[in-house]
Amino acid sequence: MSIVEQYRTKVKELLSSGQVKMVIGYGAGTTPDRRRPLFMRSPEDADKMLLDNACIANLSGYLVSEGLLSDEKRVAIMLRPEGVRSINILAAESQLKAEQIVIVGFDTAGEELRAIEGSEAKDFCALIDSLKESAPLQAPDPLFERIVQMSPQERFNYWQEEFSKCIKCYACRQSCPMCYCRRCIVDSNQPQWINTSSHTLGNFEWNIVRAFHLAGRCVACGNCDRSCPVNIPLRFINRRMGMEVLEVFDHFPGMSESQEPVLASFKKDDPETFIL
Amino acid sequence: MAKIGVFICHCGENVAAKIDCTQLTAAIGEHPGVAVSVEYKYFCSDPGQESVKKAIREHGLTGVVVAACSPRMHEATFRNACAEAGLNPYLCEIANIREHCSWVHTDKDMATIKALEITRSLVEKVKRNNELRPIEVPVTRRALVIGGGIAGIQAALDIANAGHEVVLVEREASLGGHMAQLSETFPTLDCSQCIMTPRMVEAARHPKIRLLTYAEIERVEGYIGNFKVKVRMKSRSVDMKKCTGCGDCMLKCPVKKISSEFDCGLGKRAAIYTPFAQSVPNIPVIDKKRCTYFKNGKCQICSKSCPINAIDFTIEDEFLDIEIGAIVVATGFQIQNTAMYGEYGYGKYADVITGLQFERLASASGPTSGKILRPSDNSEPQTVVFIQCAGSRDPSKGVRYCSKICCMYTAKHAMLYAHKVHGGKTHIFYMDIRAGGKGYDEFTRRAIEEDEASYVRGRVSKVWQENGRLMVRGVDTLLGRPVEVAADMVVLATAIIAQPDAKEFAKTVGIGYDEYGFYNEAHLKLRPVESSTAGIYLAGCCQSPKDIPDSVAQASATASKVLALFSKEQLEREPVVASNNEATCAGCWGCVLACPYGAIEQKDILDRSGRLIKRVASVNPGLCQGCGTCVTFCRSNSIDLAGFTERQIFAEVMGL
Ligand SMILES: Cc1cc2nc3c(=O)[nH]c(=O)nc-3n(C[C@H](O)[C@H](O)[C@H](O)COP(=O)(O)OP(=O)(O)OC[C@H]3O[C@@H](n4cnc5c(N)ncnc54)[C@H](O)[C@@H]3O)c2cc1C
Ligand code: SF4
Ligand code: SF4
Repeated sequence: MSIVEQYRTKVKELLSSGQVKMVIGYGAGTTPDRRRPLFMRSPEDADKMLLDNACIANLSGYLVSEGLLSDEKRVAIMLRPEGVRSINILAAESQLKAEQIVIVGFDTAGEELRAIEGSEAKDFCALIDSLKESAPLQAPDPLFERIVQMSPQERFNYWQEEFSKCIKCYACRQSCPMCYCRRCIVDSNQPQWINTSSHTLGNFEWNIVRAFHLAGRCVACGNCDRSCPVNIPLRFINRRMGMEVLEVFDHFPGMSESQEPVLASFKKDDPETFIL
Repeated sequence: MAKIGVFICHCGENVAAKIDCTQLTAAIGEHPGVAVSVEYKYFCSDPGQESVKKAIREHGLTGVVVAACSPRMHEATFRNACAEAGLNPYLCEIANIREHCSWVHTDKDMATIKALEITRSLVEKVKRNNELRPIEVPVTRRALVIGGGIAGIQAALDIANAGHEVVLVEREASLGGHMAQLSETFPTLDCSQCIMTPRMVEAARHPKIRLLTYAEIERVEGYIGNFKVKVRMKSRSVDMKKCTGCGDCMLKCPVKKISSEFDCGLGKRAAIYTPFAQSVPNIPVIDKKRCTYFKNGKCQICSKSCPINAIDFTIEDEFLDIEIGAIVVATGFQIQNTAMYGEYGYGKYADVITGLQFERLASASGPTSGKILRPSDNSEPQTVVFIQCAGSRDPSKGVRYCSKICCMYTAKHAMLYAHKVHGGKTHIFYMDIRAGGKGYDEFTRRAIEEDEASYVRGRVSKVWQENGRLMVRGVDTLLGRPVEVAADMVVLATAIIAQPDAKEFAKTVGIGYDEYGFYNEAHLKLRPVESSTAGIYLAGCCQSPKDIPDSVAQASATASKVLALFSKEQLEREPVVASNNEATCAGCWGCVLACPYGAIEQKDILDRSGRLIKRVASVNPGLCQGCGTCVTFCRSNSIDLAGFTERQIFAEVMGL
């Protein structure tokens, strides 16, 4: 049985046995190399399901759609390890109960698509621990290295140039599983802290606020980066913030559902190196 | 239409020397919404305040900006003045053009421009300020005093004598704390027990004081005027209602060789014991770790010997929930273990003892009945060496600070020794003699001049044993030469340190502490007995090392704070508190974790049939201290702080 067939069988079983009311997975997209989210409610829907190396989007954000989980019924979702980390963060931030989510895990790291074992977020702890050890934030990337090497002025110019492209479509926000607020700060206009027009100041404000709101929460799934229609390398901003919280607070987001959000919790012995 | 009055104060020359006030007054007068702008030499003076009030009435002002010194100086002054003129005090703001401008700049033109910007930004804020009213919260007129040393007892008595209920919680089996252990006390040499015991009895008998000994604080919730406290009554295994304190059980208990904590290891006690003979209450407890019955289920001799069957091995810990309006923390200190000075031989040589052990030797109720005898062979020491600062003022091995009382008690020890052992010799190694206080320097002089204490300025480098004596090697820095003394006993003036569990306990109670574990006062000079948490006060050595007079004075000061609080039916609180927009709250609970005062709770929003619609954060205005931490945390900008709302701050920033 091919791996897709194995997963289809599993999905059918979950739905026909009534264990879950829905399975969120991947279906065909607009072009042969793209995938779209597929919301499967009956066993037959599973025939439309696809699973291959093109299934890269982190689907966990769909779980917090208004009303989906309020009936307490379980929902299954296909996730890569970063997706599991998102579930842990969403649970830690009280957006869902981890027990309500059945995880159908897979991994596309390396060439081969592999199944990963476990059915609830807590089953993946060992995997996530090893992920932290493998130091994904240190993974070499030529452009990132280049940005790091720049002088502050060069770096500022670089981002100014990048942000000048931003059209304030907020696709990054819509695709991010962590941006679940019912009213985003940019939608608040009393007062209007963030300028809505897409000129440099407003663009800077938006992107900097986004970076801060994701510090210690981003799992580097890449949804924002891929969804940006003007190709601003947003992943680097999140990566830099991620390195910061890891270094200062030894915080790797999404380790478990009881991990305290790093910027909301404080310990008396937290380092305060940032206070001059 | 906004009608803002701007009052520009010269602060004598403090502001006027660096800011052109006339120019500033004219410029701000042009700003939209400013109805009147005036300058004056001292607005904080009586005529100054009167002119502000007059302007409010005459021009029907809707807001006031006083451009002057820091709001920490006179915000309250001017807000009161506004209130007297009928303007809500929260419609008055201070533009700080002194500390933030005139004091820190030299170029008058530039400083004047900056002062204008600062003033303008406050005018913009005031335009958006709202009227706020003080929050009224009820007050439970019952105080909790934690710690039954002299500080706790004094605070409890003062509050109770004013007619209010007090719950006094002491974790040991008896009241007394360290003062009960002392022999005589400086600077008057009156007997510690003689002045302490009557106080203990008075506290225990007081109709307004509920004494809970052998009890610990489990949990403190709530806020000023309205604390909820859970107390654990540790089981004594003795029925307190029945026991008459005859002491038969203690005599019969076969486990007798337990080293007595009260006597600092110099005496022994049984497994069922009272800490000392004058214990209050005079009711024993069973030390369950040492008791044969609790260890292996056999014995019960004490129970058989009790004439009234007061001993009950089945008694369990009990919990009491008590409503409290104010808390006095008086948990005292510990002395530092001197084991880190291997060279002094404490713990190795029996005759190297601490100052507190010396107190027990000198105490008439101590293990030697007040005779100064060496612990090793019960002989009378002919030469005693005292080492001051054995831990204090030593950042490398001990603590950085001065323990404040050791100079005094060492002088006292030398005197007591001279009075008890005629012809005995004392040598005191010291760094400085710190004897500030009424009658204190006279006291140390007396030790030197009348009781022939020989002070050697310098540190001791080593103590070792030779021919049954203790050899002390040090240096006399005044003569610049090494000294060696053969002594029979060495007394270390150990450092006063915070209780070992002080930091943990601070978290239970909800107060701040310094790097050493001493509790932080709200302001070292101006609010020395208030903790940073409203309604919780600090007395005695838990705040810093101090002597009895200071502990007692501080205790009475906390009592006066508590009584002031209890003098009102309702408590008025500053209305600067946070509130949450439930419609936009994402329910992430980040603020719940972030709030340092535990002021934010989770709240369920239900529909009419009782079904949960969503969970949101909800701020308890009684607990909120208005710090604003939650505001900065909230990603969806749902929380706002009254008096510092997002709109007001935004206007203030844009006004710059
Ligand atoms: C060797 C020596 C000699 C001294 N000689 C003099 C002198 O001659 N003259 C003078 O003025 N001062 C002298 N002092 C200082 C004096 O002992 C202190 O100033 C005084 O005892 C401080 O009282 P207190 O109530 O703050 O603390 P303590 O006496 O330490 O009392 C604190 C009490 O709180 C209790 N407690 C602690 N934690 C808790 C808790 N979590 N819950 C409930 N209860 C708790 C403790 O059991 C204790 O009973 C001397 C000190 C020493 C060490
Ligand atoms: S931080 Fe903001 S969004 Fe999150 S629970 Fe608190 S009020 Fe709600
Ligand atoms: S303002 Fe400070 S004290 Fe008040 S609820 Fe927010 S975090 Fe807590």
